[in-house]
Amino acid sequence: MKKIIVLLIPLLSLMFINSASAKVLRAGIKGEPSSIDPHYHNLTPNNALSREIFDRLIMPDDKQQLMPGLAVSWRAVDDLTWEFKLRKGVRFHDGSPFTADDVVFTFERAPNVPNSPSSFMTYLKGKNIVKIDDHTIHIKTKRPYPLMPNDMMTFSIISKKHGQGATTEDYNNGKAAIGTGQFKFVEWVPGDRLVLERNDDYWGKKPEWDKVIIKPIKSSPARVAALLAGDVDFIDNVPTTDIERLKGESGIELSQGISNRVIYLHLDHKRSNSPYVKANGGGSIKNPLQDQRVRKAISKAINRDAIVDRVMEGVAIKAGQLLPEGFFGVSSNLKPEPYDPAGAKKLLAAAGVPDGFEMTIHGPNDRYINDAKICEAIAQMLSRLGIRTAVETMPKSVYFGRASRGGPGKTPEFSFILVGWGAGTGEASSPLKSLLHTYDKSQGFGASNRGRYSNSEVDVLVEEALATIDDAKRQDLLAKATEVAINDLGIIPLHYQVNTWAAKKGIRYKARTDETTLYSGVYSN
Amino acid sequence: MEVLQNEDGRTEKFSKPDPPLQRFLENFFESKVSTGAFAVLLLILILGLFAPLISPTDPYDLAQVDVMDSRLEPGSKSYTGMTYWLGTDGAGRDLLSAILYGLRTSLSVGVLSGLIALAIGGAFGLIAAYFGGKVETLIMRVVDIQLGFPAILVALVLVALLGKGVDKIIVALVVVQWAYYARTVRGSALVERRKEYIEAATCLALSHQRIVFRHLLPNCLPPLIVVGTLQTAHAISLEATLSFLGIGLPITEPSLGLLIANGFEYMLSQRYWISFFPGIALLITIVSINLVGDQLRDVLNPRLQK
Repeated sequence: MKKIIVLLIPLLSLMFINSASAKVLRAGIKGEPSSIDPHYHNLTPNNALSREIFDRLIMPDDKQQLMPGLAVSWRAVDDLTWEFKLRKGVRFHDGSPFTADDVVFTFERAPNVPNSPSSFMTYLKGKNIVKIDDHTIHIKTKRPYPLMPNDMMTFSIISKKHGQGATTEDYNNGKAAIGTGQFKFVEWVPGDRLVLERNDDYWGKKPEWDKVIIKPIKSSPARVAALLAGDVDFIDNVPTTDIERLKGESGIELSQGISNRVIYLHLDHKRSNSPYVKANGGGSIKNPLQDQRVRKAISKAINRDAIVDRVMEGVAIKAGQLLPEGFFGVSSNLKPEPYDPAGAKKLLAAAGVPDGFEMTIHGPNDRYINDAKICEAIAQMLSRLGIRTAVETMPKSVYFGRASRGGPGKTPEFSFILVGWGAGTGEASSPLKSLLHTYDKSQGFGASNRGRYSNSEVDVLVEEALATIDDAKRQDLLAKATEVAINDLGIIPLHYQVNTWAAKKGIRYKARTDETTLYSGVYSN
Repeated sequence: MEVLQNEDGRTEKFSKPDPPLQRFLENFFESKVSTGAFAVLLLILILGLFAPLISPTDPYDLAQVDVMDSRLEPGSKSYTGMTYWLGTDGAGRDLLSAILYGLRTSLSVGVLSGLIALAIGGAFGLIAAYFGGKVETLIMRVVDIQLGFPAILVALVLVALLGKGVDKIIVALVVVQWAYYARTVRGSALVERRKEYIEAATCLALSHQRIVFRHLLPNCLPPLIVVGTLQTAHAISLEATLSFLGIGLPITEPSLGLLIANGFEYMLSQRYWISFFPGIALLITIVSINLVGDQLRDVLNPRLQK
């Protein structure tokens, strides 16, 4: 017995020393990934996690600028061919080398994962990959495609050796979750924890943490309480209601940054008899939202400063277009519409509806920062204008299905909705193509155009921009398209989200415009 | 007091029993606590009933509610000079008005769903007790199955299926509650139907309908009233729970539960009043109903009669 104890003491002390020196980060996050499989679900939490375990050919930095990842350089060889030089000497977590074969394999698997709720097909459609040598690939398209490098930021490269025949389940239990990323996958207990450990052989800058324990805490007050109680070291999606309070806590540090996500309103442009727009008293009315003057009146009646100050508690920036300043393709001529209730009244009268009408605004209540409250504030403002607006909010799981396909023939159901759009590519063609180009399923245009806005001038400009390799020319075309669409009120922008992260003193996070929470971006002072 | 003369000439004093209603009232108001609770309940009912007349603003009229006035502390003034005695919530609604309107919604949902459930459950319970046999087995097994599920779960599923709105909440609460009434009524009806007056009625060849509703039902009422009162309190808290979970009523027409839910996220930021005052209103309502219900039970129960 004594011997055992004598043996145990050094062993135990060793364990203590180890646990004291190992740097562990405990994070409380709002959105849990739905899978470890990097190609299963194109969803923000999944994409953030896949960036830790796997790498991309091109890695977006905190402002979504293109940085070399598994590709060290890229160029357009001709109008239809892009060449990517791959990084040499990179190894997967099991020690096997990374080559062009892994990239070719990723191109095969990523768009074809069975049962994917939202697939990566969008980024891979129409691209043919050719292996030139072990560290060079060519990607060919049928038409000139300037956004090739941006698309290469959106999906993770997996190992051919482990990915062949692997199912989503194989990734979830860790069997196939072997990438080249900064962290190795350890375990995932859905709803409880996800554990990562540092990849000591990483090709780039190695993260600070030996181990990261990620706890999904969906309820915002609970997440803040967990940080205050010291149960976690770091949280994302700090609710705006608690920011003031946390600023006053000496043991807490906040990091904030503007995001690429614009919160905006879609209006029904297509149906002349829109289901959630009624005449005063409930009779039917010819859809007044089709009249540009009515749309302008709505935009003028919305007090964006009030939304930013009172609903968002100052943590948002009012918007006049699709992306904040500084992003590629934004227009310098567009400003947020000033609050002008008298002007709005005049426009309504000019449009032949001086007494307004009745309408319902639909929105999610668990997707964007304060989404339901924004809907309510807008309903107040429009009701005061004379457009008596009812509010119906619902969980995102119900909302998006109905907003996109809830009507007859799988058309959008609602008449007037609140949505947000984060430009995944970090430039203006993403919202223009998805929200404002005429809906065209076969070409992949207008996929989220839930107001079915259609303007041939915008369509021509967007298509031209998408076929222009020259950056300066493309910038002008995108800015022009944005101006035409916004001046016609194809959508009504409200504000850009500002995201807030909080950590205990001594830990910092570099806020990202793409709203993702990356553990490799958490530093200690 | 009456003095009667017996056949043998002796006199005897009888105390003539008081009329039943008077006796009931005397017994009920014997306890100070329940008298107080009854007064509070009456006040709440009046406040709820006349909310549109007495509340300072109409919290459901979006053209009146202003987001610029959101999250003001109790006692603050609006720019029109009106005072928000209990402060405002996150959308700028006057909390006092919102609570009065919320009481109205909560009470009407509770009482209406209680009455409908009482009618349906009571009818099934009487039928089960009176006819017995297979009818009884069938009805009571359904009741058993229903009571096997937690009420909140059944209500959640129903509201999720039916959608939002006051009418849908009432339907869900009726479905949840009818089984309690059915069970209660059946219990007391089983005792009553073996009594002589029912036998007499049967011998007179009265119709089933007449026997059940004219003879059996009035004698089963006391326990039903007690259960009804307590179930109403239960329905109100259930509605508050559903609203708190965000699946009850539309956010522009908050009931007490939804007001509490809206204020919940402000708790950590020390804006206590948004949840606190509606919570107090809900608490007072439910406690006073329960106290009245308890006293009713004591008064109407012959075994506890002094």
